[in-house]
Amino acid sequence: MTAVAAPAPGRAGALTFVRRNPTLTAGVVLLVLIGLVAVLAPWLAPHPEDAGTATHPFQVLRPPSHSHPFGTDLVGRDLLTRVMYGARLSLRIVIEVLLLAGLIGIPLGLVAAYAGGAVDQVIMRITDVFLAFPALLLSLAISFVLTPSVGNMTIAIAVTWWPWYTRLVRGEAASVITRPYVESAQTLGVSHTRVLFRHVLPNSMTPVIVQMSLDAGGILLTAASISFLGLGAQDPTPEWGLMVSQGAQYFSTQWWFVTFAGLAILLTAIAFNLIGDGVRELLDPRRVITR
Amino acid sequence: MTRDPHPSRRAHLLTAAALALAVALLTGACGSTSKPAGASSGSNTNATFTYGTTTEVMVGWDPATDYSNEIIAMNNMYETLTRYDSQTGQVLPMLATSWKKTSDAKTWTFTIRPNVKFHTGRPMTAADVKAAIDRTIKLNGGASYIWGAVKSIDAPDARTVVFHLKYATPLDLVASAGYAAFIYDTKAAPAAQLSKWFAQGHDAGTGPYTVANWDKGQEVELRLKAFPGYWGGWSGNHYRNVVFRVVPTASTSAQLVRQNQLTWVEQLTPQLWSSLKSDPNLRTTTATSYQNLLGMLNTSYGPLKDPRVRQAIAYATDYKGITAALGAFTPSIGVIPHGLWGYDPSLPVYQTSTEKATGLLKEAGYGPGGKHMSLTLTYTQGDPFEPTVASLLKSELAPLNITVNVSALQWTAQWSKAKSTNPASRQDILLFYWWPDYADPYSWFINLFHSANPPYFNLAYYDNPEVDKQIDQVEPLSATNRPAAINLYSQIQTTLLHDSPALFLGTETYQRVMQKSVGGFVDNPAYPNVVFVYSLHPGQ
Amino acid sequence: MIRFTAHRLALGVLVVVGVVVLTFLIARVIPGDPAVTYAGPRASKAQLERTRRQLGLEKPVVVQLGDYLQGIGRGEWGTSYRTKRPVLSDLRRALPASIELVTAGLILALMIGLPLGLVSARYHGQAPDVLVRFISVIGVSLPVFWLALILQLVFAQRLGWLPSAGEYDPNLYYTSPLTSYVQMPLVDALLTGNIPVLESAFSHLILPALVVAVYPAGLLARMVRASVLDTLGESHIRMVRSLGFGDRAILGRWALRPAMNPVVQVTALVFAYSLANTFLVEAVFDWPGLGSYAANSLQALDTPAVVGVTLIVAIVYVVLNLIVDIAQAFIDPRVRLR
Repeated sequence: MTAVAAPAPGRAGALTFVRRNPTLTAGVVLLVLIGLVAVLAPWLAPHPEDAGTATHPFQVLRPPSHSHPFGTDLVGRDLLTRVMYGARLSLRIVIEVLLLAGLIGIPLGLVAAYAGGAVDQVIMRITDVFLAFPALLLSLAISFVLTPSVGNMTIAIAVTWWPWYTRLVRGEAASVITRPYVESAQTLGVSHTRVLFRHVLPNSMTPVIVQMSLDAGGILLTAASISFLGLGAQDPTPEWGLMVSQGAQYFSTQWWFVTFAGLAILLTAIAFNLIGDGVRELLDPRRVITR
Repeated sequence: MTRDPHPSRRAHLLTAAALALAVALLTGACGSTSKPAGASSGSNTNATFTYGTTTEVMVGWDPATDYSNEIIAMNNMYETLTRYDSQTGQVLPMLATSWKKTSDAKTWTFTIRPNVKFHTGRPMTAADVKAAIDRTIKLNGGASYIWGAVKSIDAPDARTVVFHLKYATPLDLVASAGYAAFIYDTKAAPAAQLSKWFAQGHDAGTGPYTVANWDKGQEVELRLKAFPGYWGGWSGNHYRNVVFRVVPTASTSAQLVRQNQLTWVEQLTPQLWSSLKSDPNLRTTTATSYQNLLGMLNTSYGPLKDPRVRQAIAYATDYKGITAALGAFTPSIGVIPHGLWGYDPSLPVYQTSTEKATGLLKEAGYGPGGKHMSLTLTYTQGDPFEPTVASLLKSELAPLNITVNVSALQWTAQWSKAKSTNPASRQDILLFYWWPDYADPYSWFINLFHSANPPYFNLAYYDNPEVDKQIDQVEPLSATNRPAAINLYSQIQTTLLHDSPALFLGTETYQRVMQKSVGGFVDNPAYPNVVFVYSLHPGQ
Repeated sequence: MIRFTAHRLALGVLVVVGVVVLTFLIARVIPGDPAVTYAGPRASKAQLERTRRQLGLEKPVVVQLGDYLQGIGRGEWGTSYRTKRPVLSDLRRALPASIELVTAGLILALMIGLPLGLVSARYHGQAPDVLVRFISVIGVSLPVFWLALILQLVFAQRLGWLPSAGEYDPNLYYTSPLTSYVQMPLVDALLTGNIPVLESAFSHLILPALVVAVYPAGLLARMVRASVLDTLGESHIRMVRSLGFGDRAILGRWALRPAMNPVVQVTALVFAYSLANTFLVEAVFDWPGLGSYAANSLQALDTPAVVGVTLIVAIVYVVLNLIVDIAQAFIDPRVRLR
């Protein structure tokens, strides 16, 4: 698992990297573009106030035009602005979920592998229970009992996602722990925490990194789905899933309302999935996708 | 239904059925020779009228107490003594063929139509009319307040019903109400079990249609079929079946009506409605309604308890913007909509003004630079207009340092929350519609603004003894001295506008779509969204 | 084998119990007092107390959990606030419609995903492979609710080729009434030979099934590709190839069969996943299944119904997992060693 050589520095190295990893490159380029839109939204968006509470009741449901390239929504807000700000929000949600799920899942996996025995059994049976739910279902159920908001939705998704990382880390760590250098560190009296975080963790991370990059697209879609069902972001938050749900009634008469927000979800999910595939090919080509 | 039908009645039924069948065959034969039948109407022997609505129809089944969406189905199963024609302003005979009142309007005598049968098979007599209205009054639920003037009812003979009133009231109008005025068979089940019997999906009316099938929670929720013994008879060209189909999304409704799977659609978005205008198979109609959209402000708990805050919100609301964005609304002037008596265009309505709103909030300690205010707003899931209003209100209040948290709930959930015993879990602003129970303004005042504990429909929890007293006075006045009643209504409305327990957000314009084959449709806003299907003629 | 099956069964039961406990935690975490929701908005203090006692809310949480577990076991899943009917009987009505939809969707997914995966593996690294991989990436990246809206707009509303919503034309109730045995119109129509309903049900099923199929199809294409490439690299294939068999024969006879194992497993697992995905699809097409029921319950704040749906989908998931595990152990003894 330590076979990941960093690409050789220099222009020739970069070119080789791109040629050898077209999927990853395509994904990264796409994601960088989306990320740029997200970061620069306040400067790029034609009507930044429309991402917030502003409304314009006298220009509702206007078709795409020069001043509103993506048209306006049911309270007259500029949809291009809202789609751009939506990128900020979606990327933030994905990053936060991955961080949160990692923060819960990885230490638990390490502990399970290191402690073994009853602790291991308890932790792993709990992950079994969480994994018995399709991710969307459990995050929906949790969002349902919380007040609907972006923050709570992020928590709900993270609560659903951590067991995957626990499992992966535990499996990997269990084999790392049997390696001689860990044993010798233990006999030398190095503290448990130090052994876990300095020796076991770094050598168990590869499958987690692969899985995380594969998951990003799924998290994005789950968040959009929860918002579509009304349990996530609330108006006027410029969330793409929410925008699709607000526009659904108007789709056959005002096509632009739903189309651009949906395309934004699709493109971002494609970017994430391309990166996921690329990272997997690069780091862990034998890994089989299960979700 | 365990009772054995009388043999004589059974024979009667058989004759009626045979007659109906013969008629059906005849008309059916005609239908099939003249023109190919349309997909939904089929041949006229089983012409089906499919009503497309957005939310659950049968919220309840008891004709005495139910006071919600079931109005659209109930009025096809049940009938009232009279019916109000909103085009002419006349009260027309239904189960009563004629009526007269004494000069003081305190004694009313109705002559009951002969040869009317309940769906249970029993013939309707004056005693049954008395029993039904007595039970409705006794249960004291829903819109039963409409009978508030009644002291006692007599049935001196089989065809005469006499009402003795405590105070003068236009009882012929009251008797035409779309709620709580139904005449039903109180002997359909033992008295103690009648409500339960109804709740299982039974009806005991005299109307042209009776329940064929009820599938709670399903898309095709309710099917009615022709009642063979209906007094109006089935020899003419009538729809034989009525289907209520719940289609929550407007775009799907539009598609279904285009594909002739719906005969008539209650409500679409204005955009969809306009897009159907050019369809050669469809007809679009508009009608001004008595239905207005209100934002009930919580006057009993939370920041809106302070009248200054409510006034500030009334000033902050952009009424013109809301009606412009909705497309199918006209701005409201006070409580009473245009077209109904008592409408007063000179009321002092709120003119949108951010300065006034800011000033009032400042006095109350809120507003920009003051305390932050957080309000909850609930609206009915499935309504195409309310989400827009919610977003606009939220946007208009945001610059005033007021955050509005919006939740879309199905009506039953929204109403439960509003009636919650714990005041803290009630909403601050509730969006919903109100319409009169009969062509009279009284319904808004008694239901929405008269104090009531526990709350029922006064979801602003407004409690003003002065207004209570005026509301109690206004009803008798409307029968004896109409100008004085109109004057009193204007006074009450002025108080309400000043106290601001509710935002008057606009009056809806009905935009209907139906198949061109539907003959004889007239929107009667006194019975909001009701289609009296028997009065329509299925085309070829 | 018996030991393996018993072990798996025991684990399965443990997981189901855990699932029930988790749903209990979710249901009871709700802010507010469950007694208020049960007793209704107009309940007095005394009524509330009585309800609290009836529901066992005054007992310690552990005892409540025990009661809840027993209730679920006995089939007492509570009463829906919205429909006022037992949740279990609501689910019994809604589940068949969803199973019909998801099954149709997965059949479509297999019909699309398998050939795509095979083509991709056969032309590994060439243009068809790149194309298929791109298609499958789109398949797993599409927001299904958006796709549902688009297909409905294009094929039902604009082109008018297919009906836009519902299970079958309700007007057939009068001309060709359908007798229901399994609550799946397509199957019921087949069983009773009701041709008009069959035609109508079939045309109504196509669009929603297609939407349900998209994600699994993308997933299956990727799976089949990976798995066939894996087996192609194994020694027995190399031997067959050295014997001079052509590519097509190798793919069909030697590589496909072993590659099918993970495919079967994924198909079973994706079934429960799709059941949850119907939450997003059925509402758009007014399909009267679990998804519409769930979406309506979510909006009505109908906790017992939401918990019921969550539970039933999780149980379907666990049971399918178990069946696949045990079946694979039968077919492939190596599995038992894990």
